[in-house]
Amino acid sequence: MSRRRGRQTETGEEFQVQGPSSALTSFLREQGISAEAIRTRYEEGLRRQLEEEAGGEEVENGGSDESDEEILEGEEETAEIKRIRERARAKRRRAQREDGLDDDEKADGNNFCIECDREFVISVYSKRIEKYGRIGYLCPECTTNEIKRQRLTKRNEIEARKRRKKVAAALLDKQEFKIPTLQDCCINVISKNIDAVDLLGDIGVVNMKKIGRILSKNRSLDNRTMALFLDPAMREIEFWDCSNIDSVALNKIAAFCPNVERLVLNMCGRLHKDNLNYYAQKFTNLQYIYLNGAFLINDQTWQDFFDSPVGKNLKGVHIKNTHRFTPDSLISLLDNCGNNLEELTLSRLDGLTSKSVYDLLPHYLRSLKHLEISYPNKEELIDDELIINLMGVNGESLETLILDGCSGLTDTFLVSGVKPFCPALTKLSLVMLDQITDSGVSSLFNDWAINGGLMDVNLSRCIDLGDDGVYAVLEHSCQTLVELNLNSVKNISRGLFKQIGRNLRFPLLTALDLGFVRSCDDSALAVISRIAPKLTILEVYGDNRCTSAAIVRDNLRIIGRQSDSI
Amino acid sequence: MSEEVSPYVTLISNDGFQFLISKDAALVSGTLKGMLNTSFQESSTNTIKLHELDGVLLEKVIEYLYYNLKYKESVDVPEFDIPTEMALELLVAADFLDV
Repeated sequence: MSRRRGRQTETGEEFQVQGPSSALTSFLREQGISAEAIRTRYEEGLRRQLEEEAGGEEVENGGSDESDEEILEGEEETAEIKRIRERARAKRRRAQREDGLDDDEKADGNNFCIECDREFVISVYSKRIEKYGRIGYLCPECTTNEIKRQRLTKRNEIEARKRRKKVAAALLDKQEFKIPTLQDCCINVISKNIDAVDLLGDIGVVNMKKIGRILSKNRSLDNRTMALFLDPAMREIEFWDCSNIDSVALNKIAAFCPNVERLVLNMCGRLHKDNLNYYAQKFTNLQYIYLNGAFLINDQTWQDFFDSPVGKNLKGVHIKNTHRFTPDSLISLLDNCGNNLEELTLSRLDGLTSKSVYDLLPHYLRSLKHLEISYPNKEELIDDELIINLMGVNGESLETLILDGCSGLTDTFLVSGVKPFCPALTKLSLVMLDQITDSGVSSLFNDWAINGGLMDVNLSRCIDLGDDGVYAVLEHSCQTLVELNLNSVKNISRGLFKQIGRNLRFPLLTALDLGFVRSCDDSALAVISRIAPKLTILEVYGDNRCTSAAIVRDNLRIIGRQSDSI
Repeated sequence: MSEEVSPYVTLISNDGFQFLISKDAALVSGTLKGMLNTSFQESSTNTIKLHELDGVLLEKVIEYLYYNLKYKESVDVPEFDIPTEMALELLVAADFLDV
């Protein structure tokens, strides 16, 4: 740079060899100031002055009042700028000629804005854009606007990306993204600071339940926080995570809330036999009890509990996940309250190993509305005959039947048990019944006139089922179905979706799981979206033919597509 | 006459504070919406007395009504700030107002 500037001075000389130089010298050289230039300038000034004095005419013009040096320097600078401008213009002209745009430019170098067609002087800040099929520059005003606009679109893009991310995250929780309600905001704050709360006060049963569930979910329900929910007026108490509540605190439930009618204790591994004995004295109004994981309670305690006045009063018993619930415990349960029971759940009770005790069930149970027998110790324990007998007695009132994992069952119980005896059934869950086939399910649902239609059907992992069976279910219950789970019914083919698309409508269906039904593709999604107007959640995990290209309703959330990853 | 088309609603707390808020904001609350869309006195005078809420609480509730109105459509929503000591009372109020 300095060299070029040096050359531009009038001397035209180049310094090939240089000795050591001070900082000031090199600075001056960098700035293009050299002793040589100053000297020549001075000499020229002197010469001119002499000439002027000799001429004597142009005193006012050239001589002026200021010092010569300044004028000369100014002139030189303007000359330099002029040269630079000239060059830039030439360059621009060249560039525009290449673009074929020289018609917009006037001879003096001014330009017309491509946007507003205003004449302006082009500068390095002028924006060059392509618009209306032409390429040109924007005037300063339009440039600012354009830059603003571009910044905005960029920001919008970032915003949109954030939105997509959040929506995708909400999708996994099966929720739509929406602004949290004030109640939710409050509940969050309360849950976070639950240790500082001494009394919940009158916040409403629904909010109480909500807080309880959130505390259970984030595992902060303990001896202290559980006490917040103990209100003598409570009729229902549910603690979904009792693992941090010790035996003493569990006694408090009965002590503070003797009027409870429905008690839910989930993961109650610390529920001691003393607790259950205490409950047997205190809960005089108890009607429904749900105990999941009460593995400290032994056979004798179960028997004592069912034998107490409280036990005799029970209308609903749900027991899950304990190996200490023995055949004798079940006999005691049936003896004491079997005749009154409306709800019974026996799930994953590995201590129940006697088939003859299971076979007692039909002799006691009479008016069940809810029956769940799931995941027995051995599949032989639950056979067709038992279920047929149970249906024969209870079928009239039965609304919910859950037989998940009773893989010893075959088509027979469907045809001879469920079909003739269950007019009121609305929920049927047959997870993992690998022996039921198309013919059994078809003969159950074809002309099943006594039943008006099921609302909740779960056939997940019934791997022997195919199109015919599933179609029979859907044809029978399409008007009433609300939830349907066909996860892993792998024999379903594309033809089924076509068939139901042409013949069936699902006015009430809201949730559908088609995970690992690999024949499900984009066109199947489009069909389902069309025939189920209320459907909001459709799960398609493992269906890799479902892509983001599927044409579905806006308010239908499809979960589990590969393309939805965050 | 002019009251019926007024875009504003007056909310009065139990300690006498009056808040003039836009009708759109008031309609965020299910309870207020119910009061304003019926033939009750509240809808003709556009004034609602909330005996359950004091001024501080009502101010916070109104802050939320406008917060909801502002961010209803957007995703990048800043968290609504609630003083910890107010959370329980506010929950009761929110439960009552259905927001």
